[in-house]
Amino acid sequence: MMRQAQKTGTAPLYEIRDLVCAYGDEPVLHIDRLDISSDGPTAFVGHNGSGKSTLLKALAFLLKPAAGTIRFLGNSTEEREGELRREVTLLLQEPYLLRRSVFENVAYGLRARGATDRLAERVAEALEMVGLSPDFGKREWFRLSGGESRRVALASRLALRTKVLLLDEPTANVDEENALLMARVIGEAREKWGTVSLIASHDIQWLDGVCGRRILMRRGKIESISA
Amino acid sequence: MSYLSEGFIQGLGLIFTMNEEVWTAVITTLKLSFLSMAVTLALGIPGGFILGYFSFPGRRILRIMVDTLLSIPTVVVGLFVYAFISNRGPLGGYGLLFSIPGMAIGQTILALPIVVALTASAVESVDDRLRLTLLTLGARGKRLALSTLWESRHQILLAAVTAYGRVTAEVGVSMMIGGNIKWHTRTITTAITLETGKGEFSTGIALGVLLLGLSFVLNWSLAALRRRTAS
Repeated sequence: MMRQAQKTGTAPLYEIRDLVCAYGDEPVLHIDRLDISSDGPTAFVGHNGSGKSTLLKALAFLLKPAAGTIRFLGNSTEEREGELRREVTLLLQEPYLLRRSVFENVAYGLRARGATDRLAERVAEALEMVGLSPDFGKREWFRLSGGESRRVALASRLALRTKVLLLDEPTANVDEENALLMARVIGEAREKWGTVSLIASHDIQWLDGVCGRRILMRRGKIESISA
Repeated sequence: MSYLSEGFIQGLGLIFTMNEEVWTAVITTLKLSFLSMAVTLALGIPGGFILGYFSFPGRRILRIMVDTLLSIPTVVVGLFVYAFISNRGPLGGYGLLFSIPGMAIGQTILALPIVVALTASAVESVDDRLRLTLLTLGARGKRLALSTLWESRHQILLAAVTAYGRVTAEVGVSMMIGGNIKWHTRTITTAITLETGKGEFSTGIALGVLLLGLSFVLNWSLAALRRRTAS
């Protein structure tokens, strides 16, 4: 069913209806209706606490909604979170690197998915996309700078070739070179594998060059949508 | 103060001349600690992981019980184990009293709460981002659990070293269960207690130096291992 929807491209990427997400008893996100298409990158903008990160976690199937539904490519997502997490991946604002070598960090998700064919090749390709040489794979996790850690974390997501790449504040605390790299990688992933990037960011100037569609959020709700 | 310095020099002499009595106590200590630590780690790491990772009814009370057992006096453990394995006890038929396996049971009871409690704490205190990262990379079930355990490995190593310290330093269990039998169940700590009581400071100092040396070698090896496994 999902394959059919993906193939024909008839259904939106996500269809959100009456979504409520809460931490404990406190609701932090309430979206009545939102469709996200797979046409290109979409940005979520808004102040701190507007619910952008919470929405990304819900879209990554890492946060169970307190109420409402999220449909993915026309299909219900209830009780299928584990399976659907293989179609999407999230890069946190402050990425966590596993206490392993760079290679093992990038290879982890592929091993978890059982995609071990041409593993080294895929890891090398992902590292090259973020401007790191395959030899960098030997580097130990604790010998990386902040910028390098972020690149490795991004490479570990790119290697998965998922349908959706969710990026939470990808340019926060990042220099210009890395911000440009991030923009280039989003385009490259789209061209190579059709990966759709959904980005939460404060960096309006950077988003202008990356995303066509912008969704403004405020206090956990959608305020406006601009194309 | 001269008797101290004389004792120290004589002690070093006993070590370097391979005094049989001294080295038998060292070998017994190594055998005993190896056995008790093997059982402790085999039971304690999975036990601590279950306690720290999963939510289940009674978890909180179990955690309080484990934490309480952290400070259990060695003589109390010695007393209970003695009651169980002495000829009149329920395990009396197994011939464990005054034997290394019998002493290992007592030492395991002492060390197990340390490994369980510290492993549980290590798993509970992993970075919140770890779980999200593992999930979004596609880990599920067993892989998710084992990866969380692996990410906690340095703290678990610390738990093992702490437990080893408790095992090698204790006297109560070794004395009560082992009986401090020369050439058989006499460990470094029980030998130090005996020799000091007899006024034989040199033997006590020799054994003390060896005990410190063992701890140093162990910690140095673990530090090297930690550096290697950090990647």
